[in-house]
Amino acid sequence: MNKGKIVSIHSFRGGTGKSNTTANLAAQVAMAGKRVGVVDTDIQSPGIHVLFGLDENKMGKTMNDFLHGTATIREIGFPIGDHVGGAEGLSKLAGKNLWLFPSSIRGREISQILRDGVDFNKLNEGLQTTISEFDLDYLFIDTHPGLNEETLLSIATSDVLIIILRPDNQDLQGTSVTVDIARSLDVPNLMLMVNKALPKYDFAEIKNEIEAKFNAPVAGVLPLSFDIAENASGDLFSLRYPDHQWSQALRGVAQAVLAVE
Amino acid sequence: MPGVFDRLNKEIKDKQQEGGITPLDLAGLPPALRKIMRLMLRELQMTYPRLCEAMDSMPEAERLSRNDLQDTLSTLTQQFWLIRIGEGEKAIYKVNLRHGAGSTLASGIWSSLNAKLKDKPKDT
Repeated sequence: MNKGKIVSIHSFRGGTGKSNTTANLAAQVAMAGKRVGVVDTDIQSPGIHVLFGLDENKMGKTMNDFLHGTATIREIGFPIGDHVGGAEGLSKLAGKNLWLFPSSIRGREISQILRDGVDFNKLNEGLQTTISEFDLDYLFIDTHPGLNEETLLSIATSDVLIIILRPDNQDLQGTSVTVDIARSLDVPNLMLMVNKALPKYDFAEIKNEIEAKFNAPVAGVLPLSFDIAENASGDLFSLRYPDHQWSQALRGVAQAVLAVE
Repeated sequence: MPGVFDRLNKEIKDKQQEGGITPLDLAGLPPALRKIMRLMLRELQMTYPRLCEAMDSMPEAERLSRNDLQDTLSTLTQQFWLIRIGEGEKAIYKVNLRHGAGSTLASGIWSSLNAKLKDKPKDT
């Protein structure tokens, strides 16, 4: 087996805060001294690059180029620690070993993938090569919401799967489907994370109920927060506001990931 | 003149075009087959001795006997879910995932979309 662990972050429905959580978790694990990669496999609607301060001009080569055979994984890895910019939270990653492997935000390149379909042999080769080429301890995969083939591949190859859900009946039903699929793919470590829980609720009670419903550990219950909305993906919230309740709970999830053997 | 590496790569590419397993199919495999496929997804390619080593390092309850391992590899190879290059101890196994289906929208839509996006200097 490769040394590095693959951690997929998934949610059945959109709007759960998946990319925000993935970026912050990866940042926290990098802050703990680990070598970390983040791959955006949400090829249809990429967005995690924004949280790391990248735009189209800074991005360079992307996963789309790799999938089309016009770039190597080595060329795609963008060293976040060397380009932290001015954002207060992001600047704390200066010198840290964190690489982003972004998907293209160019309309033509997105449409090309939609038209041609994904070469899954190539995508899997990319995921595994990323770990070996960059000697990663952890590779975080930001997936597309719902169940498509890219997502199933990343789940199938994961050491850890974190499913994010809101305390909402639609999310609960969808999560049930994802949990079943993850179990049938033998994912060794399955965790749930509840995000956007109304602060008036009892978080311990939410945790117990969800754990009982899915027979899986809840790594954290994170509050719905106007502060995060105000941040508007402009910075890595947990680094900028480390004492915030959301950030503290997020660090608990990061600890759960780091504790996986 | 192509070398051995180029020849083997071409052989793999040719075989990969002959089918393959979808990520969804993985979920429906019997446990023994799924175990091998998961291992192969992570390792990309393995020799038979390396597969035996990996099997021996698994918890006892999850291990396959040598006979079961060989039967499983045969099944996966016959289905083109694994590709085998070479024979015997030197054989290399490589996972073969089916290419994702592209959009079923009429091709005219894509050429029209591409033409519109082609001249756009910058996406917003």
